[in-house]
Amino acid sequence: MRRYLMLYLYFLRFSFSKAMEFRLDFSFRILMDILYYIVNILFFKIIFLHTPMLAGWTEEQMMIFVSCYILVDAISMTVFSSNMWWLPHHINRGELDYHLIRPVSPLFFLSLKEFSANSFLNLVIALGILIYSLVNYSQPFTVADVLLLVILILNGTLIYYCCQMLMILPVFWTQSSKGFMDLFFSMGIAMERPDRIFKGWLRVMFTILLPFALIASFPARLFIEKFHWPTFMHLTAVSIVLWMVMLFIWRKGLRAYSSASS
Amino acid sequence: MIEVKNLSKTFTSHVKEPGLKGSIKSLFSRELVTKDALKPVNLNIEQGEIVGLIGANGAGKTTLIKILAGIVHPTAGEAKILGYTPWERANEYRRQMALIMGQKNQVWWDLPALDSFILLKEIYQIPDAQYKYNIEFLAEILMVKDQLKTQVRKLSLGERMKIELMAALLHNPKVIFLDEPTIGLDISAQKAVRGFLRQYQKEFKPMTILTSHYMEDIKELCPRIVIIKSGEFVYDGSLSDVQKMMGDEKVLSVTTQNGVFKVSVPRQDLAKKTHELFEEHYVLDLNIQDPSIEDVIESIMKNGIGAT
Repeated sequence: MRRYLMLYLYFLRFSFSKAMEFRLDFSFRILMDILYYIVNILFFKIIFLHTPMLAGWTEEQMMIFVSCYILVDAISMTVFSSNMWWLPHHINRGELDYHLIRPVSPLFFLSLKEFSANSFLNLVIALGILIYSLVNYSQPFTVADVLLLVILILNGTLIYYCCQMLMILPVFWTQSSKGFMDLFFSMGIAMERPDRIFKGWLRVMFTILLPFALIASFPARLFIEKFHWPTFMHLTAVSIVLWMVMLFIWRKGLRAYSSASS
Repeated sequence: MIEVKNLSKTFTSHVKEPGLKGSIKSLFSRELVTKDALKPVNLNIEQGEIVGLIGANGAGKTTLIKILAGIVHPTAGEAKILGYTPWERANEYRRQMALIMGQKNQVWWDLPALDSFILLKEIYQIPDAQYKYNIEFLAEILMVKDQLKTQVRKLSLGERMKIELMAALLHNPKVIFLDEPTIGLDISAQKAVRGFLRQYQKEFKPMTILTSHYMEDIKELCPRIVIIKSGEFVYDGSLSDVQKMMGDEKVLSVTTQNGVFKVSVPRQDLAKKTHELFEEHYVLDLNIQDPSIEDVIESIMKNGIGAT
């Protein structure tokens, strides 16, 4: 465990010193992401010009939800994105070989090696947005509530990571994951909508099978509404199963890679 | 100890007829073809031994090495290296093993070599003293002391290969697989890598399997060779004995106006063949030699043993 932590610290160090070299890309990415935040906040602001409540939430409650998924997005952009986008390429070109001979988890390396120091400032901004919406929240809440919210946001990031991995991993068998990734990004919108708007089979889909609604909506709901055990248990159970399914498919994928590699 | 028993590997793939029509057809019915990359082979390697694995492209060298490094699962058979089954990928095994592939990089391109080394130190949990000593020792004999702080992608091919070697050997592996470590290097870099490997072998006595297309590598480094042809071992023995495999052959090296060519003939036919040559060609010069190791190996790789 300590070894993995040390390795991650090195990843961070290398990423930051690399980022200093390419300054143009640095500012460009920040601009793109800030634009994304503004569009998302404005989207709900405009809706609330027409209605006082949406999916059971007021404007300030909605803002907490919005800042949750903005933070999830910022974390996964910074921590995972540069790794995930290259994964299909590495798998296709047989570049996993060297990862398989080392005495560390290849999944750890392939998921975390490239920290996007470029997006780091976005992480700070996203955190700022969350703090701002908490400060402006008129209902009472405790430190424990905030702590739980933060933990659930981190868990949401892992769910987001797992969902993305599930869309990437077929590349072990199909050689191309383009279609799956497109699907992921179009379904990813589900993360940005309150879960109450999904009914029937859509609800099963987004709260159990590909639980995008559990990324930010459930955490926000547990914070805003009274703590609700069934919701919390649902969230925990689905997270654990999702993680295990992802690991299972990853191992199957590695196995397929080893039998095909020459 | 490396002990390989009846190890084999078969690849299955489907054939597709060319063109769009073929693609559509293959959606519905697929014809599977199997290819034996490795027919059952046996191999034993002792501590401190270095074995040259020789074969044409596609003969199965890389497949064997990847199986022993734990990357590829074999179809059947057993292998025990230091007591571990490689493809179970136990951390204890991986910590004592190194793989170097001349055609693939393991150091990170956008980092200076030293940064990659620090990561490897952490990955392999190399103690400080050993790490320092190895960096000194390896950089010294590879003559790359001044390149350690440069981003690897800015180095020349030869320098990069030396960095790759350093990176792979920092943790003092007991088992080393070298797949064409000198490929694409110029003569002086090849020499440096060879010299290094010999010195390293002497100092640390690992078990090493080396593949190379350059006979110089093999001749200088490997007292024992294994020749592989279409997935089968056709020779496993000492390098010097390989010449005996040709039996009583002589090589005639003939110079005419059109250049030089070589013919190999059994000793008893020597007189007859020489006579024929003088009748057929305007011979400027004629040399009768024993076949060189290169000639023998080339002939074995092409025709197998006894077919000469």
